[in-house]
Amino acid sequence: MTELNNVAVADDDFNPAAAPKAREAAGAKAAAWGGKGLTAAIAVSGAIAVIGIALWVVQLSGGMVQTAMRNLDSWGLYITNFMFFVGLSAGGLIISSVPKAFGIKGFGGISKVAVWSSIAATVCAIAFVVVDLGQPLRLWELFAYSNLGSPLMWDIIVLGTYLILSCVYLWATLQNERGKVSNTALRVISVVALVCAVLVHSVTAWIFGLQQGREMWHTALLAPWFVSSALVCGTALVAIVVVALRKAGYLELDQAYVVKLAKLLGAFVVVDLYFFGCDLLTEAFPAAGGMAVVDMLVSGPLAPFFWVEIIGCVACAVVCFTPSLRRPGLIVAASALAIAAIFCKRVQLLVGGFQLPTLDLPGPVTSMTVTGWEAGVAGAYEGMVYWPTMIEWGITLGVIGLGAFILLAGLKFLPLRPQD
Amino acid sequence: MRYGFAIDTKRCIGCHTCSTACRIENNLPNGVWWNRALTEGGPEMDTPAGEFPDVTMTYLTVACQHCDNPACVKVCPVGATYKDPETGVVRQDYDKCIGCRMCMAACPYTGVRSFNWEEPQHTIDFAVGDADAAPHQKHVVEKCTMCWHRLAKGEEPMCVKTCLARARFWGDLDDPESEVATLVRERSYKQLLADEGTKPSVYYLV
Repeated sequence: MTELNNVAVADDDFNPAAAPKAREAAGAKAAAWGGKGLTAAIAVSGAIAVIGIALWVVQLSGGMVQTAMRNLDSWGLYITNFMFFVGLSAGGLIISSVPKAFGIKGFGGISKVAVWSSIAATVCAIAFVVVDLGQPLRLWELFAYSNLGSPLMWDIIVLGTYLILSCVYLWATLQNERGKVSNTALRVISVVALVCAVLVHSVTAWIFGLQQGREMWHTALLAPWFVSSALVCGTALVAIVVVALRKAGYLELDQAYVVKLAKLLGAFVVVDLYFFGCDLLTEAFPAAGGMAVVDMLVSGPLAPFFWVEIIGCVACAVVCFTPSLRRPGLIVAASALAIAAIFCKRVQLLVGGFQLPTLDLPGPVTSMTVTGWEAGVAGAYEGMVYWPTMIEWGITLGVIGLGAFILLAGLKFLPLRPQD
Repeated sequence: MRYGFAIDTKRCIGCHTCSTACRIENNLPNGVWWNRALTEGGPEMDTPAGEFPDVTMTYLTVACQHCDNPACVKVCPVGATYKDPETGVVRQDYDKCIGCRMCMAACPYTGVRSFNWEEPQHTIDFAVGDADAAPHQKHVVEKCTMCWHRLAKGEEPMCVKTCLARARFWGDLDDPESEVATLVRERSYKQLLADEGTKPSVYYLV
């Protein structure tokens, strides 16, 4: 159980000459990694998750009036995080399945850890939808009365499939290492998983992008944009996780692989910025209705989120593309910036959708209409139309605690360490 | 058959009686308005646009538009909001609604759909309105039912019955002989957010 033992498994990933005996030893130890620190972290994250569940019960019994969501801003932090975590879940699976699917050189044995981080993020994404529901006990109706024309239904189907596929893929990778699943079979599974990963982001985008009534959302670009944003924050998450795990002695990883990840991250960030540029230009150019979206982002209530995203993405790209800056510490910082930037993007999308009402004639306003209703409709839209309450932050933290619990417990109990 | 409304904005005096009658008839919880008289004028409700003496003020009474091509029906994952095939009325099944609020994101008519964010509260401690109106539930989406409980008895919606200025007309838009169809045929009208392609069943006569 001591960290010192782990030194013995150094290089198991890259040294083809490593004795099979050493590999066996590594396999045995893999299941028993982590000292008291990890156990404590698992306990803490578990406790946070339990507190989150308790708060969720409070939200359901006392009513969602305790959140800041109201009729005119009917989604909030939970759906923002749903978008965000669907995105985070992308990276791991894609990083690990692309090399296998296309038969190219991979990222040095991090694939199992990467897929596990995907699974944890997917569970979080599903949990965020569930805590947003008013009637979670009626979830079974999704399967009994499915309206297959609803983008939300597509998402539930694809997200469920994605979670199952990720687990199957991880299991197949492990079995493959033991020689029980053929390389061809693994490759087929990785192709299917890859297609599903792209679908999951597109479908999540369509929940928003197909709504003609919301100027900010209604664009065909949204689906490819969600894929690129997912690749940014997913890759960034994998980079942070592997650098941290290397530091903690969980795995050995040549710096060349981290640099490769950083270059990939840089490319994704640039594509994401390019999409943003295309979207802003298309909104702004006619100098008509879309101008409201541009004003809201550049200089309006959402400006802080807009500029953090732009500056964060540019800074991240600079680090990723400048060889002398690609040091582990800076790569982690750049990755963290990229993740923060994509979170800001999600806030802009979610709040931006509600910030611009399509029918904004003054009429009766009540405590159910909009947060900040006392100031009238004009007052409510002056700043951000929505800002979460304490209970929403608490439940959000609880869901993230659940994700951390799954991630850490996997590191401790599952044989995820590189050994192939 | 396609039930719909014709609302004469030239007759409407902005008295909010239809909105209030709707609240009473359907025993709406505190803070919930299915039908609202919106002011086409200044920045606040009941304020005119322009500068004295060149001021104008008209009203648009806005509730569910009972669209022929409803955005909400398409997105509901469980079919809790649906278009009644016989009458074209867009209905909401409170017992089925899972409270995901996808319909509220999809509906272009801001503020028409309402979610019960808490256990429905009422200022008076007994139910008012029609005994047949569907009871309200916590954490589900609701909206104008076109007074479905009244239609079932062969009566017109309460907002139409109570309109002081006789500005509201209701009937079958598909029947060329009906009052609404005649008005829509003979008068010029506008529809809310016609560009959205939702084909609302509410016509505002101008």
